[in-house]
Formats: sequence, C-alpha cells, structure tokens
Amino acid sequence: MIRYLARRLLSLALTLLVASVIIFLIIEVVPGDTASLMLGVNADEETRLALREELGLDVSKPVRYVNWVSGMLTGDFGISYTYRTPVSEMIADRMMVSFPLALYALALSTLIAFPAGIIAATKRGSFSDVSIMGVTQLGVAIPNFWFAMILVTIFAIKLRWFSAGGFPGWEAGFFAGLKSLTLPAIALALPQASILARVMRSSLLDTLGEDFIRTARAKGLSARQALWGHALRNALIPVLTIIGLQFSFLLAGAIIIENIFFLPGLGRMIFQAITQRDLIVVESVVMLLVFAVVAVTFLVDIAYAVVDPRLRRRV
Amino acid sequence: MSLLTVQDLRVSIGGKSILTDIDLSVEAGKVLGIVGESGSGKSMTAYSIMRLLPDGSEQNGKVILDGTELTSLSEEQMCQVRGRRIGMVFQEPMTALNPLHTIGDQIAETVKIHTNTSRSEARRITLDTLRRVELPPEEFPPSRYPHELSGGQRQRVVIAMAIALRPQLLIADEPTTALDVTTQAQLLHLLKRLVDDDQMGLVLISHDLAVIASTADDIAVMRNGVVVESGSTDVVFNHMQHPYTRELMKASGHVPQKLASTAEVTSPLLVVKDLVRDYKVARKGVFDKVSFFRAVDEVSFTIYRGENVGLVGESGCGKSTLTRAILGLEDIQSGSVSLDGEFVIANEVMSLSSRRKMQVVFQDPYGSFNPRHTVGRLVAEPLHALAIQPDRRARERAVHEVLARVGLQASDGEKYIHEFSGGQRQRIAIARALINRPSLIILDEAVSALDVSIRAQILDLLVELAASDDIAYLFISHDLSVVRSFTDRVLVMKDGRIVEEGETETVFRSPSHPYTKSLIAAAPTPPKVAH
Repeated sequence: MIRYLARRLLSLALTLLVASVIIFLIIEVVPGDTASLMLGVNADEETRLALREELGLDVSKPVRYVNWVSGMLTGDFGISYTYRTPVSEMIADRMMVSFPLALYALALSTLIAFPAGIIAATKRGSFSDVSIMGVTQLGVAIPNFWFAMILVTIFAIKLRWFSAGGFPGWEAGFFAGLKSLTLPAIALALPQASILARVMRSSLLDTLGEDFIRTARAKGLSARQALWGHALRNALIPVLTIIGLQFSFLLAGAIIIENIFFLPGLGRMIFQAITQRDLIVVESVVMLLVFAVVAVTFLVDIAYAVVDPRLRRRV
Repeated sequence: MSLLTVQDLRVSIGGKSILTDIDLSVEAGKVLGIVGESGSGKSMTAYSIMRLLPDGSEQNGKVILDGTELTSLSEEQMCQVRGRRIGMVFQEPMTALNPLHTIGDQIAETVKIHTNTSRSEARRITLDTLRRVELPPEEFPPSRYPHELSGGQRQRVVIAMAIALRPQLLIADEPTTALDVTTQAQLLHLLKRLVDDDQMGLVLISHDLAVIASTADDIAVMRNGVVVESGSTDVVFNHMQHPYTRELMKASGHVPQKLASTAEVTSPLLVVKDLVRDYKVARKGVFDKVSFFRAVDEVSFTIYRGENVGLVGESGCGKSTLTRAILGLEDIQSGSVSLDGEFVIANEVMSLSSRRKMQVVFQDPYGSFNPRHTVGRLVAEPLHALAIQPDRRARERAVHEVLARVGLQASDGEKYIHEFSGGQRQRIAIARALINRPSLIILDEAVSALDVSIRAQILDLLVELAASDDIAYLFISHDLSVVRSFTDRVLVMKDGRIVEEGETETVFRSPSHPYTKSLIAAAPTPPKVAH
C-alpha cells in the first residue's frame, strides 16, 4: 500500500513539473511586451524599463521560471499586473466561491446519479429504467448555459425564489451563500448527473452479470442483499474515475456558468485576466487548476486502492 | 425415499422450451452424474433446482428436497434453502468469488445470513470449513483475497462456501473443467469424501464422460433438454440403450484414423534449440536486485515434416510461453528457433517465409476473431504474409477453396463470426491457418472447448488435412486422452523444461519420469465401451 502511494505521489510531482514548464513556455510564446501593453502606446522607454524591472521581467527566461516556481512553492504567486494586488490573495478569494460551488454541484450530481443508476440497473427494461435513460439522454444533450438561463427565468424571475445572480459573500451567512450557489450548482450538476447515472447503470449491469453474483445468490442471499453486499462496491470503480474527472472539470469549467450568474469565481477571474492580458494571473490560475486535477486524480487513486485489494499489491 | 426428486420438470425461456419432462432422483450419500454436450440443458436443470433461472423463464413440475416441495416456496423461503440445504459450486473458479472480499468473509457470509451465530462462532465455522476443504488456515488464512490463490484453491473456497452449513445436497456444475488433471483428481476426491462424511447428496454435472464414470453412482445422459438415458453407472455404461449414449461414448474415445503421410518423416521442419525465456520479476523494494523467472528453460526439440507432436503439462509449466516464442511473439534470451532451415527471428524481425509457413489455431474459437469483419476477410488475413500479394479475384478464390476444404460453403465468407456454432468457428480458424499452405500448424488447446462429437469431427478433419497437405502439427492440450489418440510423439513439460519425450504410445504405456506417471495416473480414464 505504501509503495503504491509512493509511486502515485512521485508521478504526481513529475506531472506538476512537466505542466509548469509547458504553461510557462506557452505564456512566453504569447507575443507583445506586457509592460508596454500596460502603459499604452504613448509611454516613454524609461518608464517601460522601470516597470519591466518591477514586474521581474528583466531577467533571463530560465531565471524567471525558477523564480516563478519557487515563489509558488512558498505561496507567493506574484503581483497581478492589472490590480497590483498579490495573485495569491485574489485566488484565495475566488476559491471561496469556486471550490464550494464545485463541491455542491458534485454532491448534487452524485445524489441524483447513484439512486437513478441503481434503479435503472436493477429494474432493467422497466418504465423507470426507460424514463431514467430518456431523461439522462436529454441531460447530456442540453447545454448547461441554456439550462442555467431557463432556471433563472423560472426560479428567479417568475417565482422569485432565488436571486438571478451575484454572490453575497460568506459573511452574509452560510445559508445565504449556499442559496446563491444553488441555481448555478443545479445547472452544473445536470449534465454531470446524467453522465454519472449512465455510467453507474452500465457498470452495475456488468457487475450484476458477473459469476460471483450468481455465487452469492446460491449462498442464499436475496437479489437485494447481493446487490448491496457484492455488486455495488465492484461497480464503483469506473464510477470513481468519472467522479474524479468531473470534480476537476467543475472546478475549472464553470467559466460560462459563473459569468451567467455573476459569481466571483476562478473561472470568471481567468476569463477577465485573459482579456486584460494579466498573464501572471493566467499562469498562476492555470497552474493551480493543474494542481487540482492532479491532486484529485491522486485521491481517486487512493480510493481505488481502498475499494480494490488487488491494487494495493500492484507494482 | 430419495433425498431429491425432480418430476416432470419443464422450463421455457421466452416461450422457447429448454427442458422437457426431466425426471431425476438423488439419494443421500450418493453421486448423480449428469452428462451431456453444451446446450443439452445440464446447467439449466441445476438452476431450476436452485430456482435461479434467468429472468423471463417459466418453470413447471415438481422439485422435492427431503419432503419439501421447492417449487411452491416463496422467493424468501427459497433464499433460506439456498446455501443452507442446497449448496452450489460453479465452473469458473477464477470469477466465482468476489474479488473485493477476503475468502474468510465470503465463507462466513454463508453462516451469517442463515444463522444467528456470534462473530466468533462464525469464525470458528469458517476455519473448520477451510480445514474440511483441505485448505489449512495456517497456510491459507481467512484474510487472503481470491487473487492470491490459484484456480484449484479458489474452487476449494467456493466449495467451502457451499458446504459451510453442511447442506443435504450439493450441486457441482462442471467444477473441474477449468482445472488441470492433477487438480481435477484432487477436487473430485475431495467432493467424494465430503459426500461420504456428511451423507450429502451430490449432483455432479460434466461434459466429460470419464469424470462422471469415475465419480458417479448413478448417471443421467441429457440431450436437447431431455434425459435420454438414466440409471446406475454400471448399467448405463454396460448396456447402453439409447443410440445417443452410444454415440457420445464413441465420440469421447474417438481415435482419428491415421492416414499414411506422403512426406518422409526424416527431414526436420521445426528445430528448437536451447530456448530460454526469462521474465523480470517485479521488485519488492526500490533497492532490491532485479530477479528473473525462467518460464522456458533450455528447451530443445525437433518436429519433422508431416509429424504430429503433442505437448502436455499443467498450467504454468511454460507451454504457452514456449508456443509464443516459437511463433516469434516473445523475446527470447538465448537459443534459437528455426523453421525449414531458416531462423524464425532474424535481426529482431520475423521473416516473411516463417510467417507463411507457420500458423496457429487457438482454444477460444470466438475470442480469436474480430467480430466486425466478415469471415472471408478473417480467413484472407494471413495472405499479408505472402511476398507477392494476390489480386482480389485470386484472394476470393483462395478463401472459397479453404472454406470448402474445412467443410463450409463459399457463401459463408459473407457472414460474420457470431452466425456460426463453436465447431464451425473452429473450422474457420483452421481455414485461416490453411490459406497460406503452411507446413506447420500449432494447435493450442484447439479442440479443448468443443463438445466430444464436434471434437471427433475436427480431429478427423485435421488428420485428413495433414495427409493431403503434408502438414505437421504441434498439438498442445491438457487432455491426455486426446493427445494419446491424436499424436505420434509427445513432449511432457514441467517447470519450463521438457522432462520426457518419446513415442506417444510408449510414453503413455510406460512413462519413465515420475511427473509423467503422476499426470497419467490423475487423468480420469474413459469407461470401456461395451460393443
């Protein structure tokens, strides 16, 4: 088990290293000088050079890369070119929205998908199965921004149960914050839940067809006991993979939804930073997202090992 | 009164009749053998007794276990019968256990769902049951997971789960089919012992007449969902009434009529010399030394033109690795393989002529074909190994010709592989091997998955082809009786080495190596046919 974890950790570190080099190079390739861009066309040369020095752009590229990475390791992500505030503070602020939103959407998606997938698989071919498959088909097909707008129209404009957008901050109270994240979370969760329910169904169907389920039934377990005691845990392995992928996607992929609901999240921040050429912010946020994806993958790997004893010994 | 009585059992699935008027009875302390070919309804009979038929099936008739009419029980009551009064063991030990639970938990589960025993009592029963199936807990602690055990050991765990509560009846559906002969002999012995110890009734289902003949007290022969003949084993084997029983018996002991080969058997075709194949063993720690496992250990042998050589040995002995190495599919560490005087692998590339001259037929006639290609395309595939590519017309002609030679129609080339039966699929595999007119065909368990009557036909076909096309075979099988009837010479392999080699009849009559002796002793002998 420890060996397994050590290996996963090593591959995690390597992935991050490679990703940081690639991100750095891509940002470097982008044409245009940041300092002259910030100062406008009429700035004189002296000011431009001074600004370059202030931004740390005057040293060679390898040195800048090392500075950037070592800065991140100590929590220093640099200063935003546009806002002149530390990027780490900006990210921390935005994480307070994006992270709970991703968790919320994932929780909703799992809570919908598990029962739906289990019912569809155990009652294969029944009315409930056919309806669940139909609805999830629709859920996969509907674009989430469109669904988000429908939600706003119904629940914010017509029924006035929720506000149409914005985020009051957690200072306004936990439930006020949660409430403002509800519509975006539902909009994000729908396609995810649909995919997850379908994966759950097919994985469970495969498992229910396995020989060991027949063995369990021959031991005297009822169909229900065999499902809960033997099928579910086995069916979970592919489902875990999808959940891991979905979480990283939800964290980074909420750009459109955050824009629709005017949420001050990471997605909106990166969107704005790109339009303002605030490259240091782009660089750092992208790196952070890579870290999140890799970390989630690592957690999923651990979850595999917890679920499946065969993996604990795998080399 | 019998322990189990099955009366007028009828089963249909989706309106299609599967079993008709099955009558069976099993006595306590006795073994009833059910024998028949695939699709005869053997397994369905077992599932009807357990009431575990697939969805959409309809069951009529009586199943009476020691005074209880099982067909009138509710599903809930039936759950209490399964595992407690009837235990069941299945064919595939590799997949019959839940990979995520320890073997101890899985055995204890049987105890826990049927009784209100305490945790410690359940554990005591588990340990005791492990001992009864000859898996001493000192060596095989209940904390083991299924993947840490061999096939034979897993099958013992499945048996342990079935007998933990000492059921009155045990149903074993092909329990040894997937196992080696020596493991098979041990398991049959174990089942017999359990029957004697507990006065349990045993229903033993098998396609193998030899297994049934050596184990069962009574037998029932099934075909197309009907019991065609039943009675005590002696009576059935000595006075076979039904023509099908006779046919089955004849097919299982079938000796293909050898035809005189036109080739001189003195010129060597395949020469394997000091072949070594090592596998890297995974290191336990980062700083451990790299160690190797020698799968094939300095193996040398020669196959002459038109000769028929058998290769036998238990699973894990290196048969498959050796086969793959001959076919150029494995890296070899030292030694050489040459075909027709030419190295099979030269400069790390397999020569085109070796690819043409050497073909292979595998065990699984379905798994070895791409289901999305037409049979014509599948059969034509080896033509890539020709130096000059034939044009479309020639290609088609070649496909039609080989299909006809293996007894299929030219029009079959348009069809897909799922449209054929197991025997026909194996004919297609042979056609694919034949299309380049090879001089050597490696038959890797090529007839093992086939029913006896189909197997007899395929063996006849192979002999016929060998004579007309001057083909040599390397015949790999775990089934010693087939090897004995089919091959001229035999190689016995153990732990990566050839331990004995000689003329087949001589080796079988007077084996010299102790391992060969034990293999032959373990193989169940088919009953003598009374003519």
